[in-house]
Amino acid sequence: MPKEPVHLAIFKEDRVDEAAEAVERLRNLGIADKDMSILSGIPYSEHILGRPVSWTRVGLIGLGGALVGFLIALALSFGTPTLYPIRVGNQPFWAIPTSIVVTFELTMLGLLISTFIGVFVETITPTYGPKGYHPKVSDGNIAILFTCPPELDAQMHAALNPLGAELVHRSEVKNL
Amino acid sequence: MAVDVKILGNSAKPAEHSEEDERHEHLMLDPKPREEMNRMVMDAMTHTSKRYWITVGVLAFLVAVCLFGAWGNMIATGNGVLGIRRPVFWGVLIVTFVFWIGISHAGTFVSAILRVFKAEYRRPFTRAAELMTTFGLAAGALYPLIHLGRVWVFYWMIPYPNARWLWPNFRSPLVWDFLAITTYLLSSTIYLYLPLVPDLAMARDRTTGWRHTVYKLLALNWRGTESEWHRLRKAIQIFAFAIIPVMFSVHTIVSWDFAVSQVAGWHSTIFGPYFIVGAILSGVSAVVTILFILQKTMKHMDYFIRREHFNALGILILIFSMAWAYFFFNEYILHWYGGEKVIEDILTAHATGPSAWVWYLMLICNVAIPWLTLWNKRVRTTPWLMAIITVLINVGMYAERYTIIPLTLGHQRMPFDWGIYNPRLTELLIPLGTLFLFILLYMLASRFIPLVPVWEVQEGQVAHTLRKVGKGKVPSVSELE
Repeated sequence: MPKEPVHLAIFKEDRVDEAAEAVERLRNLGIADKDMSILSGIPYSEHILGRPVSWTRVGLIGLGGALVGFLIALALSFGTPTLYPIRVGNQPFWAIPTSIVVTFELTMLGLLISTFIGVFVETITPTYGPKGYHPKVSDGNIAILFTCPPELDAQMHAALNPLGAELVHRSEVKNL
Repeated sequence: MAVDVKILGNSAKPAEHSEEDERHEHLMLDPKPREEMNRMVMDAMTHTSKRYWITVGVLAFLVAVCLFGAWGNMIATGNGVLGIRRPVFWGVLIVTFVFWIGISHAGTFVSAILRVFKAEYRRPFTRAAELMTTFGLAAGALYPLIHLGRVWVFYWMIPYPNARWLWPNFRSPLVWDFLAITTYLLSSTIYLYLPLVPDLAMARDRTTGWRHTVYKLLALNWRGTESEWHRLRKAIQIFAFAIIPVMFSVHTIVSWDFAVSQVAGWHSTIFGPYFIVGAILSGVSAVVTILFILQKTMKHMDYFIRREHFNALGILILIFSMAWAYFFFNEYILHWYGGEKVIEDILTAHATGPSAWVWYLMLICNVAIPWLTLWNKRVRTTPWLMAIITVLINVGMYAERYTIIPLTLGHQRMPFDWGIYNPRLTELLIPLGTLFLFILLYMLASRFIPLVPVWEVQEGQVAHTLRKVGKGKVPSVSELE
């Protein structure tokens, strides 16, 4: 099956309303949300652009990392003394208050590092949906990247042009 | 009965004029197109004059001589080149260590706490502050190594077992230090990097050659998709909340290096919060000094860094100066009232001994100067005055650490063992060397990293509007997230 061509419609940074309207019109043309992607220079929440809520596992990965850090801290604080026990008179073998410091630091280290790893892993994980980029996005413009069957080309132009969209030629829509 | 009606405020001032003033005063109300802001930031980053390179060269030379030369000499000759000897075994090197760790606090404070509380004025300078944290920590982290003496066995500090499977003692405050500083250094570096990604992508789109390759690699293929923004926001949110207790823990642990000992004057439960407040005071002051230098030396920075920022940070400094004075007085009066002989001797030595000028310098710089000046908005909105005041506050904070460490150690329980500590040349050169290293790293980074988070500034400008209320217009903020 031939791949449907990718289109990129760019709206100026102050044309958020038009961009949201364009998303709605594309949806009315039968283009599914999964075949659209919004690129923007600043974060807009999904409800501003009328898009489905995206998800991320970064928080979950962070929590997992915190748990790993916590377990490592327990092993270092309470496990290592048992490997080579040295008992000192009148001193507890496992000292809980002094172990709290190490436990706290390693739990937080686990949380923060794994949050970053989560971002990194999700970034390099292949995603579905249209691919492409245009440097105008980093100038603050809002771009709608979408695939559209050739037979809908005329309707798509008729829907987007009145909103002031700049339709980028597909040869300029590059993959990074 | 006739009633006199007076109009509050400046009735003579036309509404348009005050609107113009608002825009002039607040960056968030004075938007420019993103393309232009990008160009300004890139221009500031890539514009390097001959004077810049000469300064970099001189600083590199000074780092080589003062830091590595003096440290190398110390390694070759032994710790005898230092002025530390009985009864003072912690001198300027530890003072400077505490100073740098303190400085590094404000980056996270300014960025994370102000982000959590949605203080909008933070936007243009969070990165400059975060960068200060990373380089301040890098400078501070050298001191445990320098102070080791036998630096070639530094790996003994890493928590791993020796040949007989004997592990380090994790109850030791030195291991706490190592773990806390490592955690803070790693997390603050990542916290600097994450919000930088969209700006690195912006730099990638505007550069060619090796710079483009490096930015492309660091930008992690950033396109600005919804899921990328969602992920980034989530991660920044987790970091902003989680890094605050880490920040508090680091300086608390540094204070516990002193407080868990039996040394008179150190063994105090108030040391944790006292050190934290002092760290934030010195760190926020250092942010102001850096902002002044950036505003004066880098192109277009006067657009991003305005009087409103000096004003807001000036208020913060005044609050923390008062908080510091509260903790200082709390600590002082309890010791003084308690009447323990050894503490009385220490307090008397601080205030009347041969090094009393350090104690008075601390009080003048940390209390008198900020209290007498920063209540005045005109002072707070005069950048050069703020730069002078903040440098003096850091001098005062250095004096505070000097008072706490060598001056306290010199007057302990046994009068026959009292002594005066005199730092020697190596101990003066190494702190100067780390100061030069900090400035050098900052100067180099300023030409490689966009120092202004442009996307955050634009986000703030989109969220801010002047809303008409009655006859006037007032700034209002919308929640875009």
